[in-house]
Amino acid sequence: MSGWWSAVLALMLVAGQQNPFAGFLDQSANRKDAKPNEAVRYLYPEQVGVAAGKPTPVELHFEVKSGLHINSHTPKTKDLIATSLAVPGNAGVQWKDVQFPTGKDFVLPVAGAPGGGDHLSVYTGEFVVRGMVTAAPGQHLVQGSLRYQACDNRACMPPHTIPVVLSVMAH
Amino acid sequence: MRDKNFLVAGLAAVVFVMIAAAGWANWQNRKHLAEMQAQRAMEPVMMGNMAGGQGMDAGTMTSPMVGKQAANFTLTDVNGRKVSLADYKGKAVQLNFWATWCAPCKIETPWLVELEKQYKPKGFEILGVSFDDLDLDNAAKLKTETTDIAKSAKQLGIDYPVLLDGDAISKQYGDPEVFPTSFFVNKQGKIVAATMGLTSKDDLENNIKKALGAGA
Repeated sequence: MSGWWSAVLALMLVAGQQNPFAGFLDQSANRKDAKPNEAVRYLYPEQVGVAAGKPTPVELHFEVKSGLHINSHTPKTKDLIATSLAVPGNAGVQWKDVQFPTGKDFVLPVAGAPGGGDHLSVYTGEFVVRGMVTAAPGQHLVQGSLRYQACDNRACMPPHTIPVVLSVMAH
Repeated sequence: MRDKNFLVAGLAAVVFVMIAAAGWANWQNRKHLAEMQAQRAMEPVMMGNMAGGQGMDAGTMTSPMVGKQAANFTLTDVNGRKVSLADYKGKAVQLNFWATWCAPCKIETPWLVELEKQYKPKGFEILGVSFDDLDLDNAAKLKTETTDIAKSAKQLGIDYPVLLDGDAISKQYGDPEVFPTSFFVNKQGKIVAATMGLTSKDDLENNIKKALGAGA
């Protein structure tokens, strides 16, 4: 019986160090960690499987750091920098019908500025960019990039670009 | 034998619940750490807010540039005129680093326009320094970009000089990573205060008075 209690205690100690939901967390560990000055990180997928030659919907998931916002793909004024996805031409892969989510309306809450600041269209938290991928048979590495410009309620950081790397397996 | 099986099953259930609870606590802890890291990314801004909100010396809190002599520079303004900081020798100057894509800068700018008018008779000037990207190798694009900055400045009511290509002097001023950022230079050319991020009109005015010195 004392052997059982030893086993229970050992398991408790292990649980304190390592998460039993490791499978779930490992998925997020595979996500590319953002550098300290990066307000947005690409979450997933790292790999997609598609039927060769057949347009297939693909969703790219991104996350804006807590407390920050970035302009949507369609900011309300011309001088604001839109979030955009660049996917370089690749002989084996075609991206079409790229669709960005609709931005959320946002007004900077500022004391001393009646009505706040400009009305903005922004992304916060997780957002998804959708597109149709058509690929020739085989494996293709797509090296795209997402450009964005981030702010919090009191300051903005310069525009920044992060890599979006996706392996496309077409069977 | 049957009793023993029950006991084993019971213990297994207890162990499972304990592991799940520990796992949940671990996950919560990691989530909290991730949030802390996100907060740290904007630390300079938070420091600026803290300084302004608690009436501390914002300049000392927000920039290691405070206390140093302001580095001289020469930049071109939106009208094509060369402007040097040295041209303002003997005046108190606010260097306001901004960009047309910066929404908080647009909130601050009307306050700056008012304050510049109010304190100009006492020897105060503002130099707006734009950090908008410029294509210096493409004359046609550069002209369009310059026109856009000038247009934006006009819409904001800016009547002080707006200089282009702030990136060229960024290193001399500690590579500011957030906008708006302002350096307040006294009549002797020393940086006496700095703000990073949007602060209040009162804070700006206090820093202007600091730059103007006693009797402002």
